[in-house]
Amino acid sequence: MRLLLLNLLRKPLRTLLTVFGVGVALFLFCFLEIVLAAFNAGVNMADASRLVVQHKESIIFELPMAYRSLIEQAEGVTGVTTASWFGGLSQEPLADGEKREEFFAQFATDIERYLSLYPEIKVPPDQLRNLLSDRMGCLLGVKIAERLNKKVGDRLVLRSTIWTQKNGSTIWEFNVRALYTTDSPTFDQTMMLIHDKRFDEARQFGQGSVGLYILGITDPERSAEISAAIDARFANSPYETRTMTEKAFNLQFVGMIGNFQFLLRSIGSAVVLTMLLVSANTMMMSARERTREMGILKAIGFTDGHVFLLLIGEALAISLLGALAGVGLAWLLANALHYNPKPDFFPIFYLPGQSMLAAVGLAALTGLLSGIVPATAGMRLSATESLRSV
Amino acid sequence: MCPQPIIQFRRVSKVYHKGGADIHPLDEITLTIQEGDFVALMGPSGSGKTTLLNLLGGLDTPTSGEVIVCGQDLAALSSHERARWRCDHVAYVFQAYNLLPVLTAYQNVELPLTLMPLSRRQRREHALKALEIVGLSDRVHHRPDELSGGQEQRVAIARALASDPDLLLADEPTGDLDAHSAQEIMSLLIALNRDYGKTIIVVTHDPKVAHAAHRELHLEKGVLSRDVDMKNQRM
Repeated sequence: MRLLLLNLLRKPLRTLLTVFGVGVALFLFCFLEIVLAAFNAGVNMADASRLVVQHKESIIFELPMAYRSLIEQAEGVTGVTTASWFGGLSQEPLADGEKREEFFAQFATDIERYLSLYPEIKVPPDQLRNLLSDRMGCLLGVKIAERLNKKVGDRLVLRSTIWTQKNGSTIWEFNVRALYTTDSPTFDQTMMLIHDKRFDEARQFGQGSVGLYILGITDPERSAEISAAIDARFANSPYETRTMTEKAFNLQFVGMIGNFQFLLRSIGSAVVLTMLLVSANTMMMSARERTREMGILKAIGFTDGHVFLLLIGEALAISLLGALAGVGLAWLLANALHYNPKPDFFPIFYLPGQSMLAAVGLAALTGLLSGIVPATAGMRLSATESLRSV
Repeated sequence: MCPQPIIQFRRVSKVYHKGGADIHPLDEITLTIQEGDFVALMGPSGSGKTTLLNLLGGLDTPTSGEVIVCGQDLAALSSHERARWRCDHVAYVFQAYNLLPVLTAYQNVELPLTLMPLSRRQRREHALKALEIVGLSDRVHHRPDELSGGQEQRVAIARALASDPDLLLADEPTGDLDAHSAQEIMSLLIALNRDYGKTIIVVTHDPKVAHAAHRELHLEKGVLSRDVDMKNQRM
């Protein structure tokens, strides 16, 4: 072990640069994973016990509010709520003092029913009471509240890009009555919920309709059966439905981005692979320079296995140090310092645990692949041959 | 202790295939060496001295014949077993010292001891004792590049001594040294043989080194051409 460590320190600058190379490559890998996870955040927060009912043709068409009681009657359904996209932009100075229109997700819904379907959302009971008793009230995720510099009791003004009020104004005012948190790292904390009754009464058009229905079911394994039953119930009506799992619903939005994810992953992977190959080459060179020393070790009694382990251990140590640096920095940035380059575009921005494991695995694989050639050569090298080498 | 004789070569030949031709560095060598002997192995370049030394230390295996050292037929052992056997019975001193540059004198000496079932304290005692024997107690923490050639070779001898081997094999140990350092190293080897009873085989071109030995073996074209008992000659 000591020899391994001392060999790493033999040319400290080279070791440092190699570790840096692996570290940068894995930092890029992790950052790419963070971005991809952000794209897929909606999919990851989906629960198998929730279904979404939308218009059969497209999400942009609304469904009648009267469907709710009919959907509730379907077998296996435990609860139903509505959700209509509000499409508002904030109109007030943000936390950084700058005044700009801020985009985030807002839904008009039956908040009480919504919360019963989303146990991930945690709201303090006193705030919830106030929220439910104020028709102008709204529920904000703590992250968006922080970004908008809002606290409970504040007023929030939005300009809707879709909905006009009966008085002709697109400006809507709300009272911030409650803030929600969540224990789930994948659940969006930048949403806003408003009361559907007030929304429906105040809007100029679209009364009596909703964007979609969200429902809870007793048995996730019966989701296909329940979905088919609901869609059959409204078949051949003016408003036919398409019912799907929440995950499938959210995947529609990811699909809208098209092959961008593939493109991003391809470019990122090529960069990461190139950097890892360069680092691997340096590690192999370092081992090849010490052929004679392998002979010395064998002459004093080290076995072929010892030599193999020493060389592969050096390559692994460099790679894993790089992983520690690269993954550690990415984790620090996204998970500890909560850095988010585009919070309105990426409501969730964190490094998933499985991506960290994948990065460490990639580092170990790089170490093994770059170490296996010199280590095998060192193991097979005859002591007499290597002692003759200059 | 090894059974006597410590070394037995029975019709040992070695053949290399190089560039499509067969090279015979050793041809039907038969010899015995007793424990406690100090043997000088002489001969012109290419006569097979180093090949013979490599066979003695189990770094190489014969093409035919038997190499029995400390009662063990080395050809019967696998590469892994020969490495373990080497660790227990043999130590090398090379012309180019062959210390590991990243380790201090102490760490170089301690290195073969890490392969033995010794505690850290025992390893330390053995290593420091070996460095004391070669007169380098004050250079324990120096790296090879901070030592003179003679000092480096003394560290190499200390490394060889530390594991208390039955057999010490030295391949031109004074070849890279000035006359004064060479004399010091030879004095050290003589003392190790005389005071500690170590069996020593030295490959050398230097007649002065050879004269210090009890026995001179001369190789020519892979054949043992002369075997001189120096003790009788001195009498």
